[in-house]
Amino acid sequence: MRKMKKVLSLAMTAAMTASLLTGMGAVTASAKKSDDGKRTKITALLKGTESTEQYKTFDYLLKNFCDEKGLDYEIELVNDMQDYFTKLQMYINSDTLPDIFGCPNGTLSKACKDIDALVNVGDELERNGYDEKLNGAIRDFLTDADDGNMYLFPQGLYCEYFMYRKDIFEKAGIKDAPTTWEEFEEDCQKIADQGEIPVIVGGSDAWQLMRYLSFSPWRVTGSEFIEGYQAGTDSFSDNESAKYAVNLLSDLGTKGYFEPGFASVDFTSACNLFFGGSGAIFYTGSGQISLAEEMYDNGELGFFPVPDTEGMDNMSTNVPVHAGFAEGFNKATYDDTMQEFFDYMCENFTDACYNQAQVFSPFNEELPEGLPQLYYDTQPMFEDAETAWTSWDDKLDSDVMTKIVDEQQQLAQGIIKPDEFIKTCDSLVKK
Amino acid sequence: MQKAFGKKSVIFLFIFPAFLIYTAFVIVSIVWAGYYSFFDWSGVGEKVFVGFKNYIELLTQDDVFRSTVWHTLIYTVINVAIQVFGGLLFAILLSRIKKGRVALQTLYYIPVVISSVAICQIFTKLLSVTPTGIVNQVLSFIDPSLKLMEWISNPQISLYVTAFVEAYKYLGLYMVIFYAALIGVPDELGEAALIDGASTWQEYLYVRIPYIKPVIIANCLLVLNGSLRSFEFSYLLTHGGPGNASELMTTYMYKQAFSSMKYGYGSSVAIMIVIICMVVGMLFRKFTGGGDDE
Repeated sequence: MRKMKKVLSLAMTAAMTASLLTGMGAVTASAKKSDDGKRTKITALLKGTESTEQYKTFDYLLKNFCDEKGLDYEIELVNDMQDYFTKLQMYINSDTLPDIFGCPNGTLSKACKDIDALVNVGDELERNGYDEKLNGAIRDFLTDADDGNMYLFPQGLYCEYFMYRKDIFEKAGIKDAPTTWEEFEEDCQKIADQGEIPVIVGGSDAWQLMRYLSFSPWRVTGSEFIEGYQAGTDSFSDNESAKYAVNLLSDLGTKGYFEPGFASVDFTSACNLFFGGSGAIFYTGSGQISLAEEMYDNGELGFFPVPDTEGMDNMSTNVPVHAGFAEGFNKATYDDTMQEFFDYMCENFTDACYNQAQVFSPFNEELPEGLPQLYYDTQPMFEDAETAWTSWDDKLDSDVMTKIVDEQQQLAQGIIKPDEFIKTCDSLVKK
Repeated sequence: MQKAFGKKSVIFLFIFPAFLIYTAFVIVSIVWAGYYSFFDWSGVGEKVFVGFKNYIELLTQDDVFRSTVWHTLIYTVINVAIQVFGGLLFAILLSRIKKGRVALQTLYYIPVVISSVAICQIFTKLLSVTPTGIVNQVLSFIDPSLKLMEWISNPQISLYVTAFVEAYKYLGLYMVIFYAALIGVPDELGEAALIDGASTWQEYLYVRIPYIKPVIIANCLLVLNGSLRSFEFSYLLTHGGPGNASELMTTYMYKQAFSSMKYGYGSSVAIMIVIICMVVGMLFRKFTGGGDDE
C-alpha cells in the first residue's frame, strides 16, 4: 500500500509539472497583464523569419509603439508554412491566440471567425478613416466570402508580373512582349531555338506551377471557376478556360520551356537562377524588386502582365494583386491599447512598408522619393485595380489542394496527360 | 553494491522514469492517435464519429496508401542493404588497415553528426540539374547527355535516391558499431583458422562474421525500425514526389493530417504504421531467432 502511495505521488508530481509547463505555454500566447489589470505586453505570431516582410513591418511598428507606451512585445516566428498552420490551429483549438497573428483569408480565418476571435478590421478602418485609402483590389482580396466583411489586415500590396531579359528577347528576334498565351508559347519556342531556357519556374513550390493553372480561369472568370469547382458546380472538363490552362501547363512543361529539373527547383533557387543570369522569362513580382533592381536600372530587364487567353473574354485587370499572408487581431484581447496600436499601425504602415519591408503599401498614398525605379514604373499597373488575384490555395479545400499539387507536378513533367489530369481533378470534388 | 542492484525496489527506481516518459510520449500518443482515427476531424472545429470508416477507406479504396506501403518496404530493403551490409564491409576494410584508420573512421562518421536538413540541402545541390550540380557535371564528362540527368525529380528513381541519401548519412554509425564488434573478436580464433589453412576471406566468413551475428541482427532491427518510420529525407528531398513516386507511409500520414487537414484519416494511417512496424519487427525476430542465441 505504501509503495502504491509512493507511485501515485510520483505520478501526481509528474502531472503537476506537465500542467505547469502547459500553463506557461498558454500565458505566452495570451495578452500579458500586470497586477492592476493593465496590459504589459503585445504578443504576435507571424509566419517567416527575421528577414521576411511581415516580421520587418511588425517589428518596426511594435518596437516604436511599445517604446512610446512602455510596453513589451514578443513576436513568435514560424517559417515553414505547414508548421505555421499547425501552430495556428493549436492556438485556435485552445483559444489562446496571441494579440496579432498571420492568417490567410480562407479555412483558417473561418476557423478563427467560428470562435469569434477576429476583430472586424473593415469597421476599424472605417472608424479611423483609412478605409478610403485602402486599395480596391486589396479589399476585394481580403473580403470574407461568407458575410462580405473584412476581418484581416493586409501584409502589404503585392503585384505579380512576368520579367524578361531584353537581350535574350532581342537575340530571339522578339520585338514586343507577348500579350496572349499563344504569343507567349511562340516566343518560348523562339527562345528555345536560340539555346536559352525560355521560362524559369520554382516547380517544387506548389504555388509556382499553380499560377500557370490559375492564370487563364482568373482572367476569364475571376474567382468564379475555382469557387464553382470547389462547390461542385463547375469542373475542369466543363470550363473552357480551365481546360486551356491545363493544356498550357502541360505544353510549357513537356515542350521543354521550363528549365531542366524544374520540379526540384524551389522559388528561392529560381530567383537566384533568373536574377543570376539564367533564363529569359520569370514570373515574379513586387516582392522581388530588391533582386531585380540592379538589372532593371541597367536596362537589362523588362516586365509584362499576365497574357490574355485568346478566343475568350478576358477581364481588364491583368496584374494579380494580393495582400500577402494578412494578419488577424484577436478580438478577445483587443483592448484600448490594441486599438491605439491599430491606429498607430495605420498611420505608419506606408512608411514601414517602403522603408522596412520594401513592399508596396496597401494604402493609396504617394510613393516616397528614393525608391528603386521599378516601384514607380509598375505602380500604374495596379493603382486602380478593383479585382484581386484569386489564390487557389485560399479557395480550395486542403485535401483537394494537396492532391492537385501532386497532379500538377506530374502534368508539367509529362507523367500524366491533360485528359488524365482533368479526369482526376474532377473526381476530387463531389458534384 | 551488487546486492542493492538485486533488490526489486532499486530495479524499479531505475526503470520507472524511463517507463513514465515512454508511456507519456509513446503509449499515450498511440492511444490518442487510435482515438482520433475513429473521427472525421479537420483539426479545427467539431469531431464527427465515423467508426471504422477511415480504416475501411484506407484499406479498400486508397491506392496511394497501398503504394506508400510498397515504397516503404523497398526503402527499408535499400537502407538495410547499404547501412548494415555496407557498414559491415567498411568496418572489415577498416579493421584491415593500419595507417590512417582513425582519420578514415572520423571522416565516415561526419555525416552522422550533420543534421538531416543539411544533408538534404547538400544532396539537392550536388544532384541539381539547373544549375548543373557536381554529380551531373562529372557524369557529363562520360556522356554529355547525363548533364541533364534528373535525380530528385525523376519519378523512376527518386525513391532510390532518397533511400541512398538516408543510407549515406547513417552508414558511418553502423560501421563504427561493427568495427567495435570486430575488434572484440578474440585474435586466437582468427589465428586458429589461419593455421588450419583458411584464407583471410574464409576467416571473416566463417569465424569473425558469425561471431558478431548478434550485433548484425541488432543493427538490422535498428535500421529496419528506423527506415519503416523514416520521414525527413523523403519530405525534405522530394516532398514525396514527383506525384507520389517517393511517398512513404510517414510522409503520407503527415500530408493527410497536416496538409489535407484530415486528422482522423491521418491518425488511421499512423495506427497502420504502428501495426506494420510491429508485424515486420516480430517477423524479423521470429526469422532471426529473436536473439535467443545471444
